[in-house]
Order: sequence, then C-alpha cells, then structure tokens
Amino acid sequence: MNSRNSITPRALVLTGYGLNCDYETDFSLKLAGAESHMIHINELISKKSAGRAISLASYHILVFGGGFSWADDHGAGVLIASKIRQHLGDQIEHFIEDGKLILGICNGFQGLVNLGLLPAFDSKYRERSVALTYNDSGNFIDTWVNLKFDPESPCVFTKGLLSMELPVRHGEGKFYAADDTIKRLIKNRQVVLQYTDKNGQRADGRWPVNPNGSLEDIAGICDPSGRVFGLMPHPEAFNHFTNHPDWTKKKEALIRQENTVIPEEGDGIKIFRNAVEYIRSTYGPG
Amino acid sequence: MDAEGAGIRKKSREYFGFEVDDIRVIRVLTIDADLQSDQLKKIQTEIFTNPVTEESSYSPLTKGFDWLIWIGFRPGVRDTAGSTATEAIEDLLGKKFRPDQAVYTSKLYEIRGKLTEGQVRQIAGDLLANDIIQQWKTYSKDGWDAEEGIGFLVPKVILDHEPNVSTIPIQSDEELKEISHKRNLALQDRDIPVIREYFLRDDILADRKKVGLDLPTDVELEYISQARSDHCNHNTFRGLFKYHDLSTGHKEVVDNLFKSCIETPTLKIKQEKGWVISVLWDNAGVGRFDDDHYYVITAETHNSPSNIEAYGGAITGIVGIYRDPMGTGIGSKLILGMYGYCVGHRDYNGDLTPHLHPRRLLDGIIEGVKDGGNKSGVPTPFGLLLFDESYLGKCLVFVTAMGIMPARISGKSSHEKKTTPGDLIIMSGGRVGKDGIHGVTAASETYTEHTPAGHVQIGDPYTQKKMHDFLLESRDEGLISFITDNGGGGLSSSIGESARFSNGCQVDMEKVPLKYDGMDQWEIWISESQERMTIAVKPEHLERFMELSDKHAVESTLIGKYNDSGYLQLNYNGKTCAYVRMDLLESDFPQWEFDAEWIPPGLRGLTEPVINEPENHGDLLSAMLARPNICSRNWIARQYDHEVQGGSVIKPLVGKNRDIPADATVVRPVLESKKGIAVSQALNPFYSRIDTYHMASATIDEAVRRVLSAGGDPDHLGGLDNFCWPTIEYNSTKNPDGKYKAAQLVRANWALRDYCIAYGIPLLSGKDSMYIDGDLEGPYGERRRLSGLPTLLFTVCSVIEDITKCITMDAKFPGDLVYISGETKNELGGSEYYQMLGAVGLNVPEVDTEELWPRYVALYKAIQEGIVSSCHAVTRGGLALHLAMVAMAGELGMEIDLSPIPAASGLTVSQTLYSESCGRFVLTIAPEKKEAFEKIFSGMKIGQIGVVTEAPRFFIKNGKDKPVVDKDVNDLKYAWKKPFGDLV
Repeated sequence: MNSRNSITPRALVLTGYGLNCDYETDFSLKLAGAESHMIHINELISKKSAGRAISLASYHILVFGGGFSWADDHGAGVLIASKIRQHLGDQIEHFIEDGKLILGICNGFQGLVNLGLLPAFDSKYRERSVALTYNDSGNFIDTWVNLKFDPESPCVFTKGLLSMELPVRHGEGKFYAADDTIKRLIKNRQVVLQYTDKNGQRADGRWPVNPNGSLEDIAGICDPSGRVFGLMPHPEAFNHFTNHPDWTKKKEALIRQENTVIPEEGDGIKIFRNAVEYIRSTYGPG
Repeated sequence: MDAEGAGIRKKSREYFGFEVDDIRVIRVLTIDADLQSDQLKKIQTEIFTNPVTEESSYSPLTKGFDWLIWIGFRPGVRDTAGSTATEAIEDLLGKKFRPDQAVYTSKLYEIRGKLTEGQVRQIAGDLLANDIIQQWKTYSKDGWDAEEGIGFLVPKVILDHEPNVSTIPIQSDEELKEISHKRNLALQDRDIPVIREYFLRDDILADRKKVGLDLPTDVELEYISQARSDHCNHNTFRGLFKYHDLSTGHKEVVDNLFKSCIETPTLKIKQEKGWVISVLWDNAGVGRFDDDHYYVITAETHNSPSNIEAYGGAITGIVGIYRDPMGTGIGSKLILGMYGYCVGHRDYNGDLTPHLHPRRLLDGIIEGVKDGGNKSGVPTPFGLLLFDESYLGKCLVFVTAMGIMPARISGKSSHEKKTTPGDLIIMSGGRVGKDGIHGVTAASETYTEHTPAGHVQIGDPYTQKKMHDFLLESRDEGLISFITDNGGGGLSSSIGESARFSNGCQVDMEKVPLKYDGMDQWEIWISESQERMTIAVKPEHLERFMELSDKHAVESTLIGKYNDSGYLQLNYNGKTCAYVRMDLLESDFPQWEFDAEWIPPGLRGLTEPVINEPENHGDLLSAMLARPNICSRNWIARQYDHEVQGGSVIKPLVGKNRDIPADATVVRPVLESKKGIAVSQALNPFYSRIDTYHMASATIDEAVRRVLSAGGDPDHLGGLDNFCWPTIEYNSTKNPDGKYKAAQLVRANWALRDYCIAYGIPLLSGKDSMYIDGDLEGPYGERRRLSGLPTLLFTVCSVIEDITKCITMDAKFPGDLVYISGETKNELGGSEYYQMLGAVGLNVPEVDTEELWPRYVALYKAIQEGIVSSCHAVTRGGLALHLAMVAMAGELGMEIDLSPIPAASGLTVSQTLYSESCGRFVLTIAPEKKEAFEKIFSGMKIGQIGVVTEAPRFFIKNGKDKPVVDKDVNDLKYAWKKPFGDLV
C-alpha cells in the first residue's frame, strides 16, 4: 500500500546463533506493512549479505527476536549482548539517535537489558540496571497471559493499546531490579505492560497469571524515548486468529451470532503495525 | 531468590524426605588458558557477571554453609556452556584459544541445614549428578579449605595413544568368531562365513594387494559389523518367522515382516494416493503439503541411552531425530516434534532396583526433551506418557519429528538426491570423539580422571540449530547434491550408504576434525558423535558452501570424494586402511530365523473377571480419573514450547481453562497459507496382554480417530509404525518365552498390514527397537528379567485444507446436544476399568473397519460443513471418562441418558460406561444443527445421548432407573488434576 506520500518502513530481523523466532517475526512485520529482511548477526557485522553490501543505517526497525542465542548459556541474552556490544555497539547507538526503532522479544528483550539499551535512564545506553532472571517456578513455561498496557507510556509500539492476550515461552523471564530502579521505571512510565488476571486486574505476583514472579508484574519496558521496547510475551506468535487458545470457541460463537466473517489476523500484529505507522509518519514526506 | 536452589530443595523433600533450609547455586568456570589479569577482569565484568542479580570472584565465594557439593563433567562429555564461554571470551578479547585450551563449567551447591554426610551424598549422587557423565565431591563446613576451594579440576581428555590400524586373521570361522567377540566387533555368527569368503576371494585379494592390503583390517570389519547390525539393517524385521498356532495347529512361514507387512502394502497404497511422494528409502517419509511444499515425517526411539542417563539420552534422542528431516531429500526445515515416554510408576517402591528410579528417570527424560526441543526452535505440541511396571527394565523414549521443504529447488523435486562421481564429501557440524563407540563395553571399563565418558552423549541443540539454518540456506542456493545425517554408525553408515549412488568413494580419514588426538582410524569411522551431517557438494559449489558455513559459525570439512570405482576406500595420511567393495553389503547374508509360537489368550487361561455391578459409579469415575495413566500430566506440556514458529492452531492443552489434552495437534507450517497439518499418536500396550493383533489394530484406529476428530482428512492419513519389543530370540534359560514373543510380533505386524490397507494408510516411516528387557537387582542379590510390554506407538498425520474448519474436543455452549458415534460392545479386556480392579479379562476391543469407515467419512463431512461444535475420540477408560473430559474441558455440565446409546444387546451399565470399544466419538452440536447432522449420519450407528448444561453437574442416568452418576464437574476435574498437581 505504497502511496506517494508514504515510505515503506524497512525492518531487520536478526538471525543466527540459536535465535529462532525469525520466521514468524518476519512474517508479522510483513503483515504489518514493513519490508522485512532476516539478516544473520555475522552479516550485519561484516556488512555483507548474499554478496551485497548491507548496513543497519538503511533500516528503520531492528528486531532482536526470540530464541536461545548461544544456548542461553551464562544467562539468557548475556552472550548475544557481548557479541553485539563488541561489534555493533556504536552503530546501534547511532540507530537510536537517528530516531529509529528497536524491538526485543523474549530472548531479544533479555539481550536488550544486558546490552543496557533498556531501560537506558538518562539515555545511557550501555548500563545494565535491570535483569531478567530465572522464573520463580524454576522451570520453562509456555502459557498465554493477559496483559495490560500503560496508555501514558511513551512507547510507540503500544500506542492506543489497552490490553492483549499473548503467549509467554521462557525460563528466564522474571523482571528484577533494585527498588529505586523499579520506582523510577514506573515514574517515567517506562513500564509498558504488566501481567493481569482474566478480568484485567493486576496479577500481584500470583502464579500462573504472573508466570515468572516478575516484580510489579512487569512484562515489558521501554527506554525514555519509547522507541526501544522489550517484552517477554510473543506478539509474533499471535499473528493469526487461530493462534489464540480459545479460537475454536470464539469461531463457534461468531457462527451462532450468524456472523460468518471469521477474522484472520491475530492481535499481536497491532504492535508491529504501530511500529510501521510510526516510521511512516516520522519518515514519510507528508 | 535462587530458583534453581529452591527447586533442588523441593526435590530433596519429594525424593528423600530431607528438610533443607536453603540451597544456593554457584556457577564455576574453570579457564584452562593463559589470560592476563586485565583480561580476566574484562571477561568477568563484561560477560560472566550480571551486576543486577549476581556476584562473582576468582576466589571461593562460599560462606556460611553447612555442606558443599561440587559437580563437574567427566572428560569428553559435551560441555556446551564451556564451548560458548570459550567463543565469547575469544570474541571479546580478540584472541584465539589453542586446541589444548578450553573453558570448563561446573557447579557448587551451598547447602544450609542439618544433614548427615550420607544424606548430602545422597542428594549429590541420586538427585544432582549422574556418575556416568559427571564427577562430584562433597565438603563439610570443617573440611573446606576457603583458600584452596575446589582446586583446579580440568576434565581434559588425554588419550596418549598413537592411532594405528590392526589386521585381523581369518584362518577359520571359529577364530574370527573369537576375535570378533574379544574385540567387541559384534559380527554376527551367521555372517562370518560370508565375510571370510569375501576376503579370501582371489579377485578381492588381487585388488587389495594393489592398495597395500592383505588381511582385513579392524576398520573394515567394524564397517561391516555396523552395516550388518540390527539397528542399521533391521535383521529382525527382515527375518524368517516359523509361525505355529498352538491351538489350531496351523503353521505358516512368514518371510520378512518388513517386506510383507510394511513395504508391500505401503507401495500399493502409494499407487492409489497421489500425495505420497517418497517412502521407505530415505531418512524420513515425504508427503505433499501443497503444490509448492512437501512435508517430511519420521519417528525413532532412544531407549537404552535414556535408561542409563535420562537427560543425556533423551536430549540426544530428540536432537537426533531432528537430523532425519534435515537429511531427507536435500533437506527440510523442522516444524514439529512429539514425545512418548513409557516408564515405571513415579512412586515405585517395590523390591527391584532399576538403574535409575522411575521418578528421577522421568524427570531427566522430560528435561532432556525440553532442552533439546526448545533450544532447537521447534514446537513440541503433542506427547504421551504411560506408566507400567514392565518398563522398569528399560524405559521407552519415543521421539517424532516433522519438517517441510519447498517442492522444487533449482527446478528439481526436492525429495530426490544422489551422489555422482566427482562430488565432494563434506562433514558439517560437531567434531568426532569417542562418543557412542561400542557403548556397552565402554560402560564397564575402569574410569581414570582422563578417560572420556564417551558412550553416553549429551545432544547439543545449539550447534545443531546453527547447522540447520546453514544447511537450509545452502539448499536454497542449490549447493547440496545429497545430504544425510550421522546417527547410528556415524560416517561408516552415512558415507557407506551415500556412496552406493555413485558406486564408490575415497575418504581421507586424517582430515576428519577430532575433539582430541589419539583416536584409532576405526573409531573415527564408526564414532556416533552427534550434530553431524554428511553432504555431497559439487566442486564448483565448494567455495560458496564454505562461505555460508563460516557465516553461520558452523565447522565444515572436506574429507573425501565420491567416485565410481566400485570400492569404498579409506586412507589415513595416504595409506589405505579400508578397501571394501560396494556390493559386499548387498551379498547374500543369511537371514535371521525365529520360531514363533502363538498361544491364544483363552489357552493361556485368560477369562473375563467376575465383577458385580458397582453401586457407586460416581466415586468409581473419580478414582479412575486419578489413575496415573489417566490423570492430568499437564506439567510436561507446559514446559515444552509448543508455539514457536507462529503456526500453532490446536495446542496440546485445550478447553476453557486450557488444561485438557487435545485429541491431536494442528499446525500451520506455511504462515502465508491456510493449510495445516494435523498429527496425533496412540499407545495401547495393555491390550498386548491379550492379543497383540488387537493391540495393534486398536492403536492404529485410535491414532486415526484422534486426527479425524480435529478435522483430519480420511483420504490423507500418513502413518508411522514405531515398535518396541522384548527380545524374541528363544533361549531356554534366558528367554524361555521368546517363541511366544516372536508370535506376538508377527501378529502385530499382521494387524499393521491389514489395517493400513483397510484405512489406506501408507507407512511413511517407522522404526523397530527390540530388546526392551532389563535384568534388575532384587532384595536378595538376585537379578530378575523384566520384559517391557510389546508396544506399538502409532502416528497418524493428515493435511488440512483449511485450518479454520478445525475443531477441539471441549463442550462449547449450554444447550448443545451430545451425540455418540459408534457402537459400544462388551469389550473390556485389557481396559483401564479392569486394570483398576486387578483384572486383565479376555474381550479385547476389535476393529471392524468396514463397519466404521462410513462414519469416519461422515464425520469429516460434518466437520467441514461446520456442523460439529466439538469432537472427541473415546479411548482408554471408556465412555463415562471421556464424556467427563469433554465436560471438564468446557467447564460445563452434562445430562446423559445411556438408553439411546448404540450398543450390543445385554450390556450392563458398567460395561456401557467403561468398555473401550474402538471406532467411537463423543460429539456436541448446536441444537439448530440437529437435522443437518442426523442427515449426514443417516442410517449409521449414532445416538443423541444428552445435552450440555450451564450448571457444572455431570449427570448420567439409564432410562428410567435411578441416576448412575451425579457429580460436580469441578470435583471431577480436581480429582483428575490432583495426582501430579504439584509438579511444575
């Protein structure tokens, strides 16, 4: 849908070294209207892909997706952070300075906090001040959670969103930080989303509605600019109506209301679409 | 909070009843390399310490503990975290480690609490460490030297051995037999004359002379032995069975079960089903998904290794099966994995001492598949777990994998592949060590601190995931001519088999990258080190292939070339160490022979039990729901990522509270498409106690019904047969009922043949694992032989045209009508009900496909037309239990009347409620669909037996008699969830 007045936002989804949600993340970005490419970490470092020159600067959205980079050894997201900081640290800071977007999902979120790209108080993008550590249950969990968004948050990815259901799939998703850090995050409206129960009430640490014991039920945070965003739940895994655990019942309910139009898209795409719209409105000549 | 420590505390209580105050885990990195102090500081702060949650030090951190346990790997055991640490250090410091330098990981557990040394050793040895792969020490508060700590323990492999090739004399059959036995060559006695004759042939001797060889070398005999093993060659299934029915006197010679019951029917069905693309030769079967894609499916077992080292065996199993789709055609992308575990009861406290207690065994297996599957980035959306004491001897670990590939690559169909003379032989992935070599003997060798613990492996999904991504990119660029995995038999089988296409090859063995020096040539050739693929690449593609390998940080090595010499030639530093004609393995090796004696169940003394009508069916139902093989095992499904890749359609757990197992799982492997794949599995070994023929037919029927109830297409049912059988070779003292077990195998295969033909199921792939027996120690120092129940895991997959037509098994809305499709008969033999009451019975469920099939077709039509709101296959436990499951899933009530149930005449209430007759479904439909539904099923055996109610009351009556069951659905669910409810 390329009108003369808008550009096509370009998204880069990192791959390699055990990352694994690249396929559906790329698909979701495309559904949302982006031109998306899956690029191996080493291609980004060597600035070459399939014989052609590539550069981070030519993209608008950088996605650190889910998976098990470096097998999660030595802490989830630790080794990818070390690799990226070493080889791409400056480029990424320029990317942020240029007003572009970075999204970290699950393992990607773990990477962002270890890089210091989050929470980046005072725009210090290299300081580790929060952690995603082992779930209180001591084990990996795959379950759908209810989330509420902070409508006052500067996060550009969640504009206009109030609540959503998404799956979490992680062993190290407990958001942890010192008291004053948490307070500051809340005050800055950097806490973008929190776990709730089915009725939208705060989980207050209760398992399994808070699936990992995250302090303050925190499921995702952004930087002060709202353009760097990390979350544990997987929006790319809700790319289609049939991804939702209750879809067979929802479909049956629609049919009984004689509503024969079954929706196609999953709610998770809204997060990607917000990113795409933001780039369009910021970079579009209109 | 230390979640890992808390987990160990909880297990110490559960396993041993120990109360521990606190456990804290300290991760230890032992760096065997020369780093400067500033470098050490840099890696400590920049990589290995999270400033928010961790502290670290180069001197011991422990303080204020009562006990310490240190656990580290034995030499040669795969230490992935050690390798990734090395990788990260090299990257950060810009410094390459020398081959003899490395990082090793280990753990220290600080324990606070009043425990005796014996108790601490029990926690270390029976909960945390496995002696086979790990070494451990315990320290008391007083015995700990805070300066020295654990010392500098480096589990480096030092073999101190000069590789050499030895020759084997072949003067006589007896001599070769003896040497084979001594060296553990495992040559089969009947093969020995054929092998000797080959090496004594004049033309062979003359040919060998030209390459400097005379007597056979150890490399050659190991190669032949591998290729002729039951594992690689399926000698049992290809054997000659002399079947004798002891009741009728009927005798029959069954030549080759594989050919007669698997291959022939499948090839015939392939002719009829245009969607069958490739079967019976490659690493996995191939079916058509759509015009542009093929799907790939295969299954395996990994029983023996898991029985010894549960975690390592299971992770190696799942990661291993994932290489099969990667090595099918010119390579497929993995889309799905499944699991099936058969183990002893979790709370077993009988007389026998299995190698690992079933509780620990199961915990380890579950964790192994978790790490292997999750870290592979492949969803694990379906699985089965079955407890029976007979699996104490050897546990069963089934693993199943599916992949998808473009139908065409560079203009050629992707399922085709071959090697041609001039193609280069590349080995990609991990390095070669002493892993998996002569596993059994290695276990009994004495350990020294530098002996590799190679016979038990730990799969490495990280290395394999990198290779997976690399190979797919190479495939898409058209760089791969042939690909296969290195599993059983290692290079010996991957190169040996791939060279058959070109008719020859030459390998330079010194080029094979090794984990450590000092391995003999024969060891390199047959090592089963994991995460390796063998690929044929044309010389003009080599440069690009290697470039991509580098990009993905995968090690690939050129080790030889395919040719058409008619010989497999292995050289080491220019000297030939093996030279074997390609056609040797096709020569006439003697067929294995088995006596098979069938004793029908009646003759074995089986009868129906005498049980009067129970007075309290409600409590009986609650009790049945809490049985270990019926109750909720949700904690397993929840720790497996079942949604990665974004195509989840029907998840493992469904219903209002997402807590009841789905009949089948459905995925959408191509996100741009509305098509999907439905797949499910079934296991019914308890029926084997009566007749394995009916065990197999009921199992096939159950798997079919599970897939159909999700919306599967009866015209597209692909099957996998996965046999696990006790030893069938008769031995008057060691296996006195071997002939009976052989007859059980023949009968199961007959059912496989009959029902695959009847349902039109091609066997896309399959696997036979024999020898599921164990000799377990009893309380008096005796050892007792325990044979696992003859077990068939049957898998069925189907392609779904439109996933939005799929349905789940949960009751959806109050007022919906409840139907049953299919006839209930007096078939409680081997049932859960009889088992609960201590009986086996005689009337095992039988499957009449001609009678069932029209209903299956009608069901498909009804689901496609959107008439069915929920559908659930009635399986183990019978009707009452499965009606309850449908109600529990919807968290709604049901009012059921048994009188309209299509049933054989004269059934009692308990027979109606608990019979396990095949072919049945429970369905719910909206009342306004009644007419349309009954029209589709007109003239068939269905009955409207009740309604779904808002109030969560599970109510069953039988006509006008007083109520049979009246229970709160929430109470039933509570009973069902309680047994393993504490596990996470």
